[in-house]
Amino acid sequence: MMTRLWRAAPVLVLLAAACGGPPAPAATTPAPAPSDALRAAADSAAAARRDSVAAAARADSLARAERERVRADSVRMAVQHISSDTAPQAVAGGLAAADSALLADAIHFDYNRADIRAGDQAVLDRKLPVLAAHPRLEIQIAGNCDERGSDEYNLALGERRAAAAKRYLVAHGVAAARVAIVSYGKEHPLDPAHNEGAWTKNRRDDFVVTKGAR
Amino acid sequence: MRGGALAAAAAMLAAPAVLRAQDSTGSAPVGVRVGITYTPGTRPSVAVLPVATATLDSVRAVLQRDLDFSDRFEVLMPPASVAMRGGAPNYPGLTALGTDLAVAVVAGPAGDVDVQLHDVRTGSIRSHLSVTLPAGGEPLRQAVHRAADEVVRWVTGSPGVAATAILFVSDGRLWRVDPDGQGLANVPAAGRPTLSPAWSPDGRTIAYTAFVPGGRPLVLQDLASGSREVVPGTEYGVNITPEFSPDGRRLAYAHGDENGTDVYLYDVARRCCVTRLTVGRYYDNLSPTWSPDGQRLAFVSSRPGSPQLYVMSADGSGQEALAPFDYGSTGQSNGPEWSPDGQAVAFHREVGGVPQVFVMDLATRTVRQLTGEGRNEDPTWAPDGRHLAFASTRGGVRQLWIVDLETGRLRPLVTTGGARLPAWSPRRTFFSEAR
Repeated sequence: MMTRLWRAAPVLVLLAAACGGPPAPAATTPAPAPSDALRAAADSAAAARRDSVAAAARADSLARAERERVRADSVRMAVQHISSDTAPQAVAGGLAAADSALLADAIHFDYNRADIRAGDQAVLDRKLPVLAAHPRLEIQIAGNCDERGSDEYNLALGERRAAAAKRYLVAHGVAAARVAIVSYGKEHPLDPAHNEGAWTKNRRDDFVVTKGAR
Repeated sequence: MRGGALAAAAAMLAAPAVLRAQDSTGSAPVGVRVGITYTPGTRPSVAVLPVATATLDSVRAVLQRDLDFSDRFEVLMPPASVAMRGGAPNYPGLTALGTDLAVAVVAGPAGDVDVQLHDVRTGSIRSHLSVTLPAGGEPLRQAVHRAADEVVRWVTGSPGVAATAILFVSDGRLWRVDPDGQGLANVPAAGRPTLSPAWSPDGRTIAYTAFVPGGRPLVLQDLASGSREVVPGTEYGVNITPEFSPDGRRLAYAHGDENGTDVYLYDVARRCCVTRLTVGRYYDNLSPTWSPDGQRLAFVSSRPGSPQLYVMSADGSGQEALAPFDYGSTGQSNGPEWSPDGQAVAFHREVGGVPQVFVMDLATRTVRQLTGEGRNEDPTWAPDGRHLAFASTRGGVRQLWIVDLETGRLRPLVTTGGARLPAWSPRRTFFSEAR
């Protein structure tokens, strides 16, 4: 039943969109006095702007709902198979090497923390112009952890680490729909050693371009 | 059994300085501290009698090992010259060995096998069970495991746990193994790696986290048919640590998204309705484990800054800290599992950055550390409430080990490298059907 509700969500959005079209002009409105004509025109222009913003928002939410539905379907499909979850192949394509490198720069975290360190804000800031210049780029942020704590706790912590970087990018103007997040917990350590040096390297967000590089 | 555990726990509490098990079993390795003083000879000794044929001997071998691994007996294997006379038990000879009980495996009239428990003092059969032997391999061993569990019941009043299985993860894949280390088999599962395997109370369904491209869903999988379904709503975010309620009707699990991770309930019986039990913001609540009466859930919460144990009612109310900890200095605590008798919670806590297995006594809310050698994680209770399986690096690589809390006896379960996240099955329904 829940499954059906999830599937129905885009349909509901569609219905809402159908009901929320531009309002029909009211035929009974008396002709405005000449002095009101300018104001009316301005109001109408503002209304049109509002409508176009609303339409864009609707289109965006429709696209997001559709994207989520497709992703949920693909997850349900994947469960019927036995497949390894490998990190997505980076698509570097027509990006300049320097831009690719900026996008791929990892950020790191303090032990058991998921907040962006002050020094790493600059690493994220350097990605912003690249993302702005290539509006079709989509990226995946993968949160990773050191080996301390349970396998499962680290999966949750990795999700928060990826989400923290996404929040930062979105707060700085990147469309949320362009940024996917995933957690690998402590399944993908860069350095398998059991010491602080390895742990420091392993507590990180990796960034991969998944789409739109030409 | 429970009385013994309580008495042992009480003795431990009365003398907290006695942390290291006396090494008098000869098998309790250094580094296991069970806080229990074991005196040889307090367990009844059982003689397993020699048999006549090779087929019977393979049955005897499985049975003998199950009785040994139950940790409830001193298992003796007297030679035929002492134990038998004219094809029958030599009661005077056995009495001279100092045993009151003997187990015999004899051929039945219809190709079956009769497992008999002899009372040496009275010279008679106290209990017996006819076992129809399936042809070889896994089914035969399971039939013998069930018989062994019955022998344990005859002597102690509660059955053994030989006819159970342990799920675990190795190399990202899901495996099952019997508690005697045999019957190791891959369980084909969605995604890789898989994490957090859990059993339904009837042993027919398992739940686990599957890493699939684009998601970390929770999967319910029928063991016999292999058919799978996704728990609704877990297509999104991270979904971890499922645990079936004791009645099997609900599934508690943790769902995490960009704002943190929380404990939810899914109504498995009606295949509907997800209820949220915790509301965290930028911290995590996970690893729910049910009390045996289904009324409460212990879980892990990072609300104090690092993960520690909490407990709540099954409706999410009355959340409070469970195992004592000191803010900032106690290492993180994870992987709780409520004991089958309801009296304890096993978990692992980091000591100097290294995870060690602890057991918390719920009546006194005191914790004791069971392990000290290597990294020791993810304890899971056997249905008898006295054995724990856990992952440990004490052998050099991470493997699964089983410890008996009452004797401190420790043995490796599987030598598969990288084994982790063990989940001990309940007693399976086929057990009661076999009685």
